Amino acid sequence: MIRRLLMAVVISIIGSEIAARSVHAQMGAAHQDQDEAGAAQSEIADPWEPFNQSMFTFNLKLDEYALKPAATGFSKILPVGARQSLGRFFKNLGIVERFANNLLQGKLVGAGQEVGRFAVNTTIGVVGLFDVADPLFGWKESPEDFGQTLAVYGASSGPYLMLPFYGPSTVRDTVGLAVDSAMNPMNYLLSTVQVIAIRGGLTLGNAINYRSLNLELFEDVDRYSVDLYGAVQDGYLQRRERAIKE
Amino acid sequence: MTRFLSLFWKVASVMALAMPLNAWAADSPLAQIRSTTERAIAVLQDPAYQGDAHRQERIAKVREILLPYFDAQEIAKRTLGIYWKDRTDAERQQFTQLFTDLVEKTYSGTLDRYNADVKFFYDQERVDGDYAEVDTHVFDPSQNRAFSISYSLRHTGGKWLIYDIVAENVSLVRNYRNQFSRILSKSSYGDLVQTIQAKLKELSASSSS
Repeated sequence: MIRRLLMAVVISIIGSEIAARSVHAQMGAAHQDQDEAGAAQSEIADPWEPFNQSMFTFNLKLDEYALKPAATGFSKILPVGARQSLGRFFKNLGIVERFANNLLQGKLVGAGQEVGRFAVNTTIGVVGLFDVADPLFGWKESPEDFGQTLAVYGASSGPYLMLPFYGPSTVRDTVGLAVDSAMNPMNYLLSTVQVIAIRGGLTLGNAINYRSLNLELFEDVDRYSVDLYGAVQDGYLQRRERAIKE
Repeated sequence: MTRFLSLFWKVASVMALAMPLNAWAADSPLAQIRSTTERAIAVLQDPAYQGDAHRQERIAKVREILLPYFDAQEIAKRTLGIYWKDRTDAERQQFTQLFTDLVEKTYSGTLDRYNADVKFFYDQERVDGDYAEVDTHVFDPSQNRAFSISYSLRHTGGKWLIYDIVAENVSLVRNYRNQFSRILSKSSYGDLVQTIQAKLKELSASSSS
């Protein structure tokens, strides 16, 4: 299992470097600027835009006709507090990926706190529904994923990529998604069909729950933007930049 | 002489007590953000401006309070990015006005969502010469969550003016810049103007419904 994982790491670093180089994609390097440098930045490179646009349209329709109605209905059944607890339950399940990526990035404190949080929140916090680890011990979240690990190791992000269902991503982050997925111990304990069914169910449940906690978000972004595609693209990339820095 | 001095100190101390404490910190960006926000909230909570009938008045009053603290031209310039230098003076003025209108129309909808339960927190400021950042957050009990809002300010003409707002780690200037650059790289400045004007019409139509 370790060998497979190591191979996956090496292949993904090489893979995203190749993707990045073959398309001279330059993500704007501007951070919160204090000078005129920000004014010199041009738009985000998007060499796969036609594909991304069609995926974006697909995702918008999927949201309009399936996800949002489900989330709206769900929000009427369960009050906000309960849905936030459910969100914490889903998040708690991601311990393996978070622990591994904290370690890979050398964040030993983060790794330790994540394990501690998992132990305490699963038991005292009732399968992760409640975050008691923070108020009790001051153990904070350290959300790391393999996409961020790749970035920390110096892999460039590669072109912007809109994934069906999952939404905005980049080549690097997509590879990260795949590797994190492979890290899940379920893959090695259950049959493929069981894994797909369980993980699919969990992902769907999490998606509906998350959307129900952010019902107006999409309408807001739509209202506040002149170019919705560009707004979503930039919003995603800015948040990733921030996450990688932390 | 001593009587004059003691009178002087008496007058000075009375004056000091009479001036509100934050007048001493009037130059601090955080204090400015706080006092400006509180003045705007006072308008939103004022019974004289409650209800749909007073909506336009309310928005106009809040606008009056907030607008002077934004460096409208700097913001417009940053959102056009590399496309600013090729614009004529008339176009720059036009764009600054257009973008200001866009932001006002867009965000006046947010004002409608304000209610007295929403709490504002002014967390910290970082000042570095003529530039500053003020971190704040807003807590909405109905959603049981907090939203972080950071202001980027520049000291110009004796005042601290806002040139960017970072909401939940997303810089609005950068976000608009990406949107506008995408339009400008594919078509023209004229097309961008038309797109923004169409959006303004759309926003007016939906808010008056």
